[in-house]
Amino acid sequence: MIKVFSTPTCPYCHVLKQFLKENNIEFEDIDVSKDEKAREEMIKKSGQFGVPVIEIDGEIVIGFDKEKISELLNINE
Amino acid sequence: MPNMLYDLIIIGGGPAGITAGIYTARQRLKTLLITKDFGGQIAKKAVPIENYPGFKEISGLDLIQKFEKHLKKFETDIETDSVIKIEKINKNFIVTSENKKQFKARAVIIASGADPRPLKVPGEKEFIGKGVSYCVTCDAPFFSNKTVAVIGGGNAGFETAIALSRWAKKIYILEAGLEVKADLENQEMAKETGKVEIITNSVLKKIQGDKFVNSIIYEDRKTREEKELKVEGVFVEIGLQPSTAFAKDLVEFNKRGEIKVDFETFQTKTPGLFAAGDVNTGKFKQIITACSEGAKAALAAYEYLKKQNGN
Repeated sequence: MIKVFSTPTCPYCHVLKQFLKENNIEFEDIDVSKDEKAREEMIKKSGQFGVPVIEIDGEIVIGFDKEKISELLNINE
Repeated sequence: MPNMLYDLIIIGGGPAGITAGIYTARQRLKTLLITKDFGGQIAKKAVPIENYPGFKEISGLDLIQKFEKHLKKFETDIETDSVIKIEKINKNFIVTSENKKQFKARAVIIASGADPRPLKVPGEKEFIGKGVSYCVTCDAPFFSNKTVAVIGGGNAGFETAIALSRWAKKIYILEAGLEVKADLENQEMAKETGKVEIITNSVLKKIQGDKFVNSIIYEDRKTREEKELKVEGVFVEIGLQPSTAFAKDLVEFNKRGEIKVDFETFQTKTPGLFAAGDVNTGKFKQIITACSEGAKAALAAYEYLKKQNGN
């Protein structure tokens, strides 16, 4: 299960989501600007006050760390 | 050593790089654009853009997505990566990326823009993502009902404060000079929020906290006194620094690290190497000036390549 914590106006979130889409990865997009509970959940899990944060099968990756995300999702370019 | 020889490599995916890409595609130059993301500084702009003709009001992200779509209409190769080195070997340029790939081209346009200038105070690095932010459009919602500080009293600082006022309960703007430098319109808008307090003549000394930021220490330059402000967020808006270190052997810099160019062709001191947009020493850093420079650099690169071919 993949969750992306993002805000609609964050450019890095846009790049991250586009990258996932290009690689046909399904994910749940959580808009933390609208969902306060999700925001709290994200802060608790990541220790971060910033987006994007991606959760891949329980593992948290902060920011658009392409290398780490590719590794966790077995994406080879 | 790469086998493929491009006519041109463009480094950067902001307004200057994208415009250069559109122009060179139309000139049928075999072009590679290398960028870690699309948007440059405008994607992160705190308030809508109101000075780009054709769009009365548009968000930075929306505008750059239109730019990106326009570029992708052409068959320009795009590589998502950062450049760490450019060399010139004989007549060709070798560009090395962070992912250790190498690309070869006959000409290069550097349009890598600029990054936020860091404060360089204790606590800044440690608390990135834990209260310290350089991107208000990304992170503002996390400061809902909190007190925050914006460092820098220019337009970017005020626009950040205005964007934050939707979320935060109180916003301090710290300005090192005696007066803020923002436009009157921005100053008025900040005042209207009723949440912004401006502290001039103040120099940030330290960011502190536990798991997250909980206060900052600044020096009042008049009294030389150190004062503490209880804040949970620090937004850094003290200007930009150009992303140019990778070109250091081939170009000349001014003292801000911006690349010196000829302002007609945007060529650097190295023939075939051009620099457009926020990376060069140009005084006015606007979206439309970046586009204009990208276009001129692309046309100049085209002429340079044609001369090289001997026609």
